[in-house]
Amino acid sequence: MPDIRPIFFIIGLLLVILSAGMGVPALADIVTGHANWRVFAGAAGACLFIGVTLILTMRTEAARMGVRQAFLLTTVSWLVIALFGALPFALADLELSYTDAVFEAMSGITTTGATVIVGLDRAPPGILIWRAILQWLGGIGIIVMAVSVLPMLRVGGMQLFRMESSEKTEKALPRVAQVVAIISIIYVGLTMACALAYWLAGMRGFDAVAHAMTTVATGGFSTADASVGHFNSPAIEWIAVAFMLSGSLPFVLYIQAVRGNIMPLLRDSQVHTFFGIAGTAILLLASWRIMAADEAIGPAIRQVTFNLVSVMTGTGYATSDFSLWGEFALTVFFFAMFVGGCAGSTTCGLKVFRLQVLYATTTAQIGKLLQPHGVFVPHFNRKPIPESVSESVLSFFFLYVVSFGALSVGLGATGLDFLTAVSGAATAIANVGPGLGDVIGPAGTFASLPDPAKWLLSFGMLLGRLELFTVLILLTPAFWRN
Amino acid sequence: MTDIRPVLFVVGVLLSALGVAMLLPAAVDVASDDVDWRVFAVSSMVTIFVGGSLVLSMRGANDERRLGLREAFLLTVMSWTLVALFAAIPFLFSNLGLGPADAVFEAVSGITTTGSTVLSGLDRMPRGILLWRSILQWIGGIGIVVTAIALLPLLQVGGMQLFRTESSDRSDKLFPRLKQVATALVSVYLGLTTLCALSLWAAGMSLFDAVNHAMTSLATGGYSTHDASIGFFRSALIEGIIVVFMLLGGITFTVHVRALRMGPAAYVRDEQVRLFLALVAVATLSIAAWTVLTQDMAIHDAIRGALFNVVSIITTTGYASADYALWGAYSVAAFYFLTFVGGCTGSTSGGMKIFRFQVLYAVAHQQLMQLLAPHRVTVPRVQGKEIESSVAISVLGFFFFYALTFAVIALALSVFGLDPVTALSGAATAIGNVGPGLGPIIGPSGNFATLPDGAKWVLSAGMLLGRLEFVTVFVLLTRAFWRD
Repeated sequence: MPDIRPIFFIIGLLLVILSAGMGVPALADIVTGHANWRVFAGAAGACLFIGVTLILTMRTEAARMGVRQAFLLTTVSWLVIALFGALPFALADLELSYTDAVFEAMSGITTTGATVIVGLDRAPPGILIWRAILQWLGGIGIIVMAVSVLPMLRVGGMQLFRMESSEKTEKALPRVAQVVAIISIIYVGLTMACALAYWLAGMRGFDAVAHAMTTVATGGFSTADASVGHFNSPAIEWIAVAFMLSGSLPFVLYIQAVRGNIMPLLRDSQVHTFFGIAGTAILLLASWRIMAADEAIGPAIRQVTFNLVSVMTGTGYATSDFSLWGEFALTVFFFAMFVGGCAGSTTCGLKVFRLQVLYATTTAQIGKLLQPHGVFVPHFNRKPIPESVSESVLSFFFLYVVSFGALSVGLGATGLDFLTAVSGAATAIANVGPGLGDVIGPAGTFASLPDPAKWLLSFGMLLGRLELFTVLILLTPAFWRN
Repeated sequence: MTDIRPVLFVVGVLLSALGVAMLLPAAVDVASDDVDWRVFAVSSMVTIFVGGSLVLSMRGANDERRLGLREAFLLTVMSWTLVALFAAIPFLFSNLGLGPADAVFEAVSGITTTGSTVLSGLDRMPRGILLWRSILQWIGGIGIVVTAIALLPLLQVGGMQLFRTESSDRSDKLFPRLKQVATALVSVYLGLTTLCALSLWAAGMSLFDAVNHAMTSLATGGYSTHDASIGFFRSALIEGIIVVFMLLGGITFTVHVRALRMGPAAYVRDEQVRLFLALVAVATLSIAAWTVLTQDMAIHDAIRGALFNVVSIITTTGYASADYALWGAYSVAAFYFLTFVGGCTGSTSGGMKIFRFQVLYAVAHQQLMQLLAPHRVTVPRVQGKEIESSVAISVLGFFFFYALTFAVIALALSVFGLDPVTALSGAATAIGNVGPGLGPIIGPSGNFATLPDGAKWVLSAGMLLGRLEFVTVFVLLTRAFWRD
């Protein structure tokens, strides 16, 4: 049984941060003269109280963090933040049940962007900015995790990204803490640049900030029911595309880029493949739209680019209901959900590097069939992939598909139709946002789903965000054995 | 460069055998006074002529050269493809009004034991055609058993190398030589088919129906002689018999051989078989419970319906006794994912196969355990055997190919305008060699006839890919294969 005191100590810290985060929407509501500020003040007080209590009671002298503690901490902290982040939704005047509130908070903190709230355009500003803050925190949270914790835990091939500081050839930065600090600054910088760009393109200041937070976090919560389509502005859409893409690249490579060495970013094979996949899908879809639907070339390319980037990076904004684009588009969007962005970004999904490892490993495998005694070593980013990493990535893929299947069947058992169940499972586990079909498609919401389905989807979002292994390992008996 | 001559020699032998098999439906048509016999007679002549010419002209080559690895890959792919194409001839020239896409689809669906059909009005169709469909599946069934037990382990396709040692293992002297294995497999297959036909006949089917259904049950194929499939007979007894023989068809045939010598304990001792039966039981019970609770079905009907259709889908047979699409959301989703599972290796069933799930589970579990104790060396085991890294990667790679092919085929189908449910389930049912899909068009009570020709070609390719375990075909597409 792992020592859980250091875990609760850190969770206490996180809750204090969360309560500070709740101060912002409270302020926003006070400024606009909205009575809702009391909800945030109350929730912040509750978080602060519990957080401080945990910090005071769980402080230990010999705070040692083993592998088990790290796994437990990762899962529990996301879970706790989702549960407490749900308080404002549950208490505010939105008529949300606690199930809905948890769904919304989980969708926020995991940067999914699926929503159960209808009538965003008239919702109090505090609630809107709280949704954006949750996604923004979730975004930076996942990058920090992907850079510092996951490679150490060797989750699903992430050991490929173990801090390269130890390698003499690439003296990036010596210590994880420093890396995390710089990445946070870059994250803030990107968000501010995005907000400024939105504002210049004609958004109100409030909308610009809220959207900037959810764009860079590839989250997808909007301040309008019609999402980004509400603004009806090509400039805004292209800005969103640019910053969604910037949120899906490996943040570690930005560090060298801001220090003047942009080559690692440009030469990274994961980045190439990411743009390759996105570009191919956009070309296919755009030509399909132009030929099959007689769209004009300009708008077709813009709409396709926006919606495909949004779905593939797991953001989930929509500018038009792509379910109406015909069967081919629907199927492309369905599979694009699974792709995701690069490792160490705010995106979710399988991630491009895993697809690369899968491809490299399986082609090496085929070579071996012809020459059973030949040596075929798969490569990633010009480096050989150790067999243990291959197995790790391949197992991740297997567990991903199995989790998707189990979640779909579970959703089916709650009574959802086939397309809703299958695309709902995909969108939750890949943290995208909208699904397909009439109910949860880009024009719909998750509000009408039965409660058990919402809990299942919330669990799916957490599972996908924490890269499966981190959560699944807690479910094995061996974890709790001594 | 690969020497193609010994390959063509074997293909010639197979085509000649196919041509001879065409004489059976011809004879049945003659007996029932149907002019269709001429189609079969001519097709048979053409096929025997082509096959015979290949055998005669390539004979010399066979004596001096042995089949190498490349030749074995080429042989596997070419023989299945060519047999399917020649088997399509009777469909094309009979008076069913089928185009090339339809005829090839029907023949591929037959030889791969898929069971998706473009024909309707089976009840009034000439008997020769009906019998030909069943014969195709029956040949396809024994073909895949022999391929999977004798050939694929040597080719190391998708983890099948795990089964390589079975014939040479000293502790388990099954049969020392390959030919003997094949003979034993064919006898078991023939024996089980006869037994099935007799049981069905005794249960009240006409002799013709009994023989046809026996062939397609054992082959886990799923072609029927009636549009309503097994639902036509409205007999619990017939359904029960077919369930038993579908299960037998979905079990590794070497285990059947072992059971003949050691008694039924062989089934219990095989981990894969146990797991297979357990999965059938769990799926049946959960679906039955769901339909009883939410669809107000009587318990007896629910269990009977769930059992028959679960077995039919898991073994990738594809018979239907009822339209399970009407059993509510959970059933539909459950049946969809069962499409991917399949039976045991070395059986006539398609899909991913139980043993691969065992390996995948063992490897994934070991991965998780490794996370907790990074320095402890643990080796995943299946059926008491250690899974080497190369086997693990081979199986994991197979899983990836399966998923990738599924996605590509679904995308290709949607290009031809199929809606997502039809495209996703059509792709799954084709590469899993199951038969029916979901949705109003290709669901259990639907038919593939209305799909566009392009979609039919894509599905035919998918069925062959799935049957040949993907990797066998993909190897031929690499440049290395054709280089010296």
